[in-house]
Formats: sequence, C-alpha cells, structure tokens
Amino acid sequence: MKITEPNARALLAAEYVLGTMKGKARARFELWLRSDPGLRKEVAAWQGRLEPLAGTLPEVQPSEHVWRQIEARIQRRAVPRENWFTSLAFWRGSSFASAAAAALLFGYIAITPKDHALTPENAMVAVMADDKANPAITVSWEMHQSTAPRLRVRVIGHQEMAPDTSWELWMLPGGDQPPRSLGLITTHDTQYVTVSSDMMAKLPAAVGLAMSVEPKHGSPTGLPTGPVLYSGKCVEI
Amino acid sequence: MSIGARNAREAHPNELVDPYQGQMMDGADSLDDLMARCALRDQRAFAELYRRSSGRLLAVAIRIVRRRDWAEDVLQESFVNIWNHVTDYSRAKSAPMTWMTAIVRNRALDWARRPKHETSEEDLEGIIENWEDSSPGPAARLLQAGEARQLAECLGELSGQQRQSIALAYMHGLSHSELADHLGAPLGTIKTWIRRGLEKLRGCLEAKGA
Repeated sequence: MKITEPNARALLAAEYVLGTMKGKARARFELWLRSDPGLRKEVAAWQGRLEPLAGTLPEVQPSEHVWRQIEARIQRRAVPRENWFTSLAFWRGSSFASAAAAALLFGYIAITPKDHALTPENAMVAVMADDKANPAITVSWEMHQSTAPRLRVRVIGHQEMAPDTSWELWMLPGGDQPPRSLGLITTHDTQYVTVSSDMMAKLPAAVGLAMSVEPKHGSPTGLPTGPVLYSGKCVEI
Repeated sequence: MSIGARNAREAHPNELVDPYQGQMMDGADSLDDLMARCALRDQRAFAELYRRSSGRLLAVAIRIVRRRDWAEDVLQESFVNIWNHVTDYSRAKSAPMTWMTAIVRNRALDWARRPKHETSEEDLEGIIENWEDSSPGPAARLLQAGEARQLAECLGELSGQQRQSIALAYMHGLSHSELADHLGAPLGTIKTWIRRGLEKLRGCLEAKGA
C-alpha cells in the first residue's frame, strides 16, 4: 500500500512518533519509512516538534555499570561491518584516480633524474586526486628502505594552503583500522616525509592515502578532523 | 607552518596516531561536534556524549518502561545503537538530542510492549493522576523549559482531553486502549482526541514557523 494523501501521511507519521501506532501497523510503517524519504522527513519533523516534552523531565543519572557495559560492547566491535575506507561519510566526497593515472605516473617516475631508483616490484605510488579525479598530489616510496624510510611527495601545480591550517597526510590501513597520520606536508613541489619503520612496514597493505585540512599544527585528535581534499589508492609499480 | 614544527612531527609519527591519545574534552564541544567525532570512531567523544545526554535519556526511558532496571537496559541498547548508526546521522534532518531521543523512545516502546514487560494497573493509575488536570499542566512545565515555548503555547490551545492524551502517549508510552481504559472514554473517542489534537498542534506550530 502506498500512502499519498498528505494529511494522512502527516497523521500516520505523528502517531508513529507519538507511539500510539503499534504492532503490525508500526512494523508496516517502518517498512514504508525505508523506501520513502518524504515520510522520513515527516517523521523527523514530528520528532522535533514533540521532543521538547522529553526535555521537561528531571534528569535521572544512570548507574555506573550501564556505561561500563556499553563501553565493553562497543570496544568488542568498535568497528562497523564495512571498513573505514568505504564506510565513512567523509570519504564520500573523494574519488580515486584510476590505475591508468598511476601507470602514467610510473612512466614519469622512471624518467625522473636524480631520484632513487624506483623500479617495478619494489615501489608503490598513490595518486591522490580531488573529487573530480584531477590528480593533485602523488606520494611514492620504495618498499624496502632499511634506514630512515621516507616518502616522496609531489604537489602538482601551484596550490595554496589556507592561513592557519595545515595539510596532514594519512594512511588508510583498510579493514577495521582507523587512519594513521603520516605527518604534515607543505605546498612545495617536491618534498620528503620521514616515517617510522613500523609505518613503512604497514604501507604495502594500505588501501590508500588521504590528505585532510587540519588546524595549524595538525589534527589535535590523532584522526582526521577537517575536510579530506585528496585521496587515492596505493598501487604497486 | 614552521619547518621546525614539521620536523618535530615527522620525527615521531607514532605519537600522532593513537586515537585514544586525543585531546581531552573540555566541555565546550557542541553535541554536533561530538556526533561528528563519534562518526570517526572517537570513543572519547562518545563517552562525553553519554555523559551529557544519558541523564535526560534515562528519564525518557523510565517514564515509558516504568522500571529503572529495565530503563537502564533500554539505555544500554540505545547507546550501542547510537554508536553503530552515528555515521547515518544527519545534522540537516534533526538535532542530536532529537535523534537520540527518538532512538531511546523507539527502544522503550518496543520493550514496554513485550507481554512480560507490561505494567501493573496500580502503576498506571498513578501516572494518569499526575496528568489528570485539564488545566495546561504539561504546557506550564514546558514554558519553564524556554526552548519549548512554541510547543507550550500550542499545547495550550488544545482541549484538556486532547492535551492529556497526547502527553500521556508521548511521555509514558500509553497506547490507545490503555488511554481508553484509564481516561474512561471509548476507544474511538480517544483516537479522535489524539488525531484532532495532533492536527491542531501541527497547524499551530507551522503558523509559528516552528
């Protein structure tokens, strides 16, 4: 059944929120809700209208064990079923440059003079693109650097950083792991970022890299807090 | 950014990456900010969100399930739900407290309607008495809440029976038939009070631009 009459829809939404709709009617309405954004909007409007009633109640502090149980449950499955890389809303604004771009870049790296010998099978590259798939930053590295491992970062074009912000580079380990900071970068054409051996060891398995805009000295939380400007997959070359 | 600052960070990259070493919450973050951080799996932000909202949400659950231990179970389920679905939350659609209240009320209503959780008659009588006055009792409480002035004014325009039915249903989770039993009116009449009351409420709130 489809409910189309506006007043009937509004009233059903109201009775759903109020809680007087119950049993099978409630279950059926919840099914409609899934496929009807307009109806969800109506429900949200009623939730907002009536919610001040809940605010009139004197607060009741829960027992301490309630939080301990919640904490235990969310830590056991701190991670949603999807992995970080695909599930987070903030990645949705980004898209990935194609492998073709990486291949082009490989050609580019191979002919760059005075660089480390980046040869196939021991190097990786991430072409980080904006939301229109324009490459903006490339990060490349040799996979088996024994001492002071570093990443080479190239910023394409003459980009500007907003005042009092910084650009932070992140590794996306994939699976259920949160992003890990690789450090801050500048707008310079070519630069190197030193990383720990531990981080270097994790890079080959990373699904991608990303760059976010952070406060002046980097993310205060250890996780991206600002918009992700560029992101890209790591490709072996 | 100074080169010095950059070098310092590069020298100790691991210092920067532990999500649990994040900044201490200073109490100044808005609920919106906390929700955004929860979406990034920041458990400290979640703890702070719980600290700020659990007292209010437990009060909501207690009114509906009418037993503190049950209400605490509802609260626990709700917060696990909030954590798991916070990435779906959209600020554009509702305020954080409205969104969380809806989750708690849904859980509480489901709970209260399982047969073994039904409330005794004596419990209900007390609740009905609290809301019995046909003067704008709930509306008066709302007026004190400031943020809710428009709702209070609009509830004040309903008949006492309409207002009482809506308030009992929302606050205490009473069903049509419970309302009929305890307000001593036929089921059809209760349904009409609620329907007309809701229509009037919506018209009034929309006219006020709420």
